[in-house]
Amino acid sequence: MQGGSSGIGYGLKYQARCISDVKADTDHTSFLTGTLSLKEENEVHLLRLSSGGSELVCEGLFSHPNEIWDLASCPFDQRIFSTVFSSGESFGAAIWQIPEPYGQSNSSTLDCVASLDAHVGKINCVLWCPSGKSDKLISMDEQNLVLWSLDSSKKIAEVVSKETAGMRHSLSGGAWNPHDVNSMAATSESSIQFWDLRTMKNVNSIERAHVRNVDYNTKREHILVTADDESGIHIWDLRKAKVPVQELPGHTHWTWAVRCNPEYEELILSVGTDSAVNLWFASASSENQASERSAEASRQRVNPLLNSYTDYEDSVYGLAWSSREPWIFASLSYDGRVVIESVKPFLPRR
Amino acid sequence: MATEAAPMDEKAKRMRDLLSSFYTPDPSISTPTSSISTSFDNINGPSFDADQYMDLMIKKSNLDVLLQRHVQMAAEIKNLDTDLQMLVYENYNKFISATDTIKRMKSNIFGMEGNMDQLLHKIMSVQSRSDGVNTSLFEKREHIEKLHRTRNLLRKVQFIYDLPARLQKCIKSEAYGDAVRFYTGAMPILKVYGDTSFKDCRRASEEAIETIIKNLQTKLFSDSESIQARAEAAVLLKQLDVPVDSLKDKLLEKLEQSLDGLQINPDEASKLAEHNVSSKDEESNNQGPAKIHEDAVRGFSEAMRAYREIFPDSEERLFKLARALTTTHFENMELYIRKRVSAADFLGIFRIIWEDVVLMDEVLPEAALSDLSAEAAQVTLKQFVARTFSHLQQDISDTLLKFDINQKEVVDGEVLKVVLEASGKAVLQGTTDIFQEFRQLLDENTGIFVKMNDLLIGWIQKGFQDFFRSLESHFLVLSGKTSSSNETEGLVEGKSSEKIHAGLILVLAQLSVVIEQKVIPRIAEEITASFSGGNSQAFIPGELCRVFHAASEKLLQHYIDTRTQKISNVLRKRFKTPNWVKHKEPREVHMYVDMLLQQLEEVGKEVKQILPQGTFRKHKRSDSNGSNTTTSSRSTTLHSDKMARSNSQRARSQLFETHLAKLFKQKVEIFTKVEFTQESVVTTTVKLCLKSLQEYVRLQTFNRSGFQQIQLDIQFLKAPLKETVEDEAAIDFLLDEVIVAASERCLDVTPLEPPILDKLIQAKLAKSKEHNNNNNKTTVSS
Repeated sequence: MQGGSSGIGYGLKYQARCISDVKADTDHTSFLTGTLSLKEENEVHLLRLSSGGSELVCEGLFSHPNEIWDLASCPFDQRIFSTVFSSGESFGAAIWQIPEPYGQSNSSTLDCVASLDAHVGKINCVLWCPSGKSDKLISMDEQNLVLWSLDSSKKIAEVVSKETAGMRHSLSGGAWNPHDVNSMAATSESSIQFWDLRTMKNVNSIERAHVRNVDYNTKREHILVTADDESGIHIWDLRKAKVPVQELPGHTHWTWAVRCNPEYEELILSVGTDSAVNLWFASASSENQASERSAEASRQRVNPLLNSYTDYEDSVYGLAWSSREPWIFASLSYDGRVVIESVKPFLPRR
Repeated sequence: MATEAAPMDEKAKRMRDLLSSFYTPDPSISTPTSSISTSFDNINGPSFDADQYMDLMIKKSNLDVLLQRHVQMAAEIKNLDTDLQMLVYENYNKFISATDTIKRMKSNIFGMEGNMDQLLHKIMSVQSRSDGVNTSLFEKREHIEKLHRTRNLLRKVQFIYDLPARLQKCIKSEAYGDAVRFYTGAMPILKVYGDTSFKDCRRASEEAIETIIKNLQTKLFSDSESIQARAEAAVLLKQLDVPVDSLKDKLLEKLEQSLDGLQINPDEASKLAEHNVSSKDEESNNQGPAKIHEDAVRGFSEAMRAYREIFPDSEERLFKLARALTTTHFENMELYIRKRVSAADFLGIFRIIWEDVVLMDEVLPEAALSDLSAEAAQVTLKQFVARTFSHLQQDISDTLLKFDINQKEVVDGEVLKVVLEASGKAVLQGTTDIFQEFRQLLDENTGIFVKMNDLLIGWIQKGFQDFFRSLESHFLVLSGKTSSSNETEGLVEGKSSEKIHAGLILVLAQLSVVIEQKVIPRIAEEITASFSGGNSQAFIPGELCRVFHAASEKLLQHYIDTRTQKISNVLRKRFKTPNWVKHKEPREVHMYVDMLLQQLEEVGKEVKQILPQGTFRKHKRSDSNGSNTTTSSRSTTLHSDKMARSNSQRARSQLFETHLAKLFKQKVEIFTKVEFTQESVVTTTVKLCLKSLQEYVRLQTFNRSGFQQIQLDIQFLKAPLKETVEDEAAIDFLLDEVIVAASERCLDVTPLEPPILDKLIQAKLAKSKEHNNNNNKTTVSS
């Protein structure tokens, strides 16, 4: 394995869990990442890949009041992003704006656009509507799902609707369907739930316990990828959601997160607590399921694992594909190391 | 010369033309040549104009030419004159001779007329006399003719009157052939006069004929009669206008019905086979069903032979019958082998069928029965091979699943071991047995088998290959590991996968190893030993070994996964429930530690039953079991001293410290490859659990008491874990990592004082000991 020799590294000062692609920045390949430190002053780093692609430059360094558990960049404004943070005892979620002249890498303060303070318990994540220039947001805690409408110029976020999933379903995360802005998937203790955001009703669910992460395939409708603690990665076709279309072995320990490539539909990245990032090639789709049986023999021959990046010291939690250069991804291990890798050698030939 | 000859010819020709024109009255019918060459300057032509010719001559020619011409012409005229004279003279001669001939003829004819008249007169008188004779004899002749006719008629009448008696006589002497001849002879008369004059006679003869027909029919139907006699009977019946076809149909139907009796009933087949085998041993006991069957088939084929001769046009039907019998034989065979059948029994039945086929084939070689049966036999044999393999697989899976019903006791006792041994034996013994059975098939030298030997070898090899492959996938299905491609199957599996006992997975894993290391090489050996000549290489032991190697690893991994999943559930509940930020001071080691240890203990027990021990072990802790508590407590105190020290350091600059520690500490390989040893599996499980523990800790935020609780739990875990696990360094590292993670996520890191820690642990140990004792007591008392 070539390990991390091709990767470009960047060290954060503290431990960190989340990294996000700055989708709205069309001129540069940029990532936002935030630290997770209980006692020190936390930071948000804006990283930019230099034009040659050989260096990762810190474009901005902003202090953040609390440790960051989740971070998501706004899809239409590169200066806006959301965080979920915790002060140890309490949780909060907020929308932030990077101040205008962010050229210097001095630590400067962030403008708080809005605070998403409709939650009581532990907040899991904030999702931005994936359809470009929509001002909708979803925030989730363990029981509730809140749909927000954001006016960034007036700095107001209003609750559009709020729904409780119920005490029994302890929600843990989710993904907004890029093919249908009115639906989203939420992972809970025992199942993956599909919500219709117009009615705020749980319309469908896949019984699957302990799903840790979920991602929609942006290229192919109805295809959903999930990561479990123990049993690896599953690819589902939502039209026949009883049995996964394909299974990938995942990681030696927990598979923490999965991300479908925004451009190459077969590529899937996963990160795990075994300090590795795995690149998968999942060609099996619902269309050629008929041939799956015949391909069963070849399944053993063709290893779906294209590459395993193992040059990490600690569990890897953060993962993001670059939407501008879809062969580039950023990974973030718990010890605060950001690694940018290119999957170009593994791209499928078209 | 030519120039000379040409004018000569021309001259002669002209002469002839001229003469012919002279004889022919019409100039237009003159020879075409002359008419074509006709022109005014042609001196021979009819339209010759002398003046014009002259003019032309004068104009055209000079004097010399004219003179020459003149001389020439004069000569020609002279010639013509002499020719003419000659002709006249000749004709005159002919004319004179002709008149002479006519004169002579006239004189000859003159005397003939009188003779002619005389002849006519004489002929007239002869005719009149012969007429007289004819009339005088006419009457007598008429009479004689009449008498003759009457006599014939009388003779016929006599014959008809005699017919019944004669027929009776024929019946008596069984001369049916004559009888039929007589009857058919009399038939036309009887038909015409039967209603009037010969009523009685007809009735009597018809009666007689009826008896004849009856007799003939019985003769035809009776099997005791010779074939020839029966054939004759059939022919006679045909002559008597008895509908033979219906008879034939009847006969064939009877034959067809007898087929049912000939079928080998699948239920009785085994009996048949047994008897067939046993009759070999004791030749005296020939009255077994096999013998009966053979006799029946012999009779059947004899009957077929007879019918074939009797009704030559019935061949098609007979072919059909024979083919039907053969196909039903093989169909029944298929039904029969649907149940579990040993190769010997199979062969027994097969032999019987083959004998039948041979018998029938002798009678009807054109029916191509042997080809048909060869095809059918191929199919059946192939099916038999396939079925045998599927039975074996069923056997193995039955052995595996038999115990799974009483899951509760699996962990204790040696159930897993028993199952592993049983199933391993089932696989090994089963495959060898199968092989022996196939050897039996191969050794069989019934005609059909000899032909199929090569095919059979191919099937057996293919069968083994497929068998092992399907066994592998079956293992995976049993373990609930495979994502089945079939959706319905998947559903069933999905439900049952929860119930699949982890021990079973472990057994399957080890079984795969056994298959890889023992069974496949053995089969490969046997195959190469037996079919060294076979060129088909359907059985690829290398590939199968790889498959099972992969499967065993997969299954072992799956076992570890299921185990860690269980433990993970315990941990998840543990970390989800309390509010760690508002945790109360630790009073005792938490319950989940017991559950964790209990799970690990189960793993240990299961593993001990199934897997071999590792080749090396660093210490044998189990030897010092008695003094265990003291040593461990001492070591814990030592450790907690160290811990306390390091923790206080960490409190100051923990991150720096951990990073530094990581830099200098040899990076402990947490995720090593699992080996098929007890220790490796247990270690891997423990490592994975501790890693999970660390990850759960990282997701929480602790207050001081929460941290202390974690510290206490981990401290307690340390001793028993180290005892079970070979890689102590890794366990130390991972336990430390948990503590580090907890301290990182702690708002106020203040470790428990070592004495308190020790005291709490001792309390827990005492409690568990007491609990154990109580348990023992209850079990003893009960």
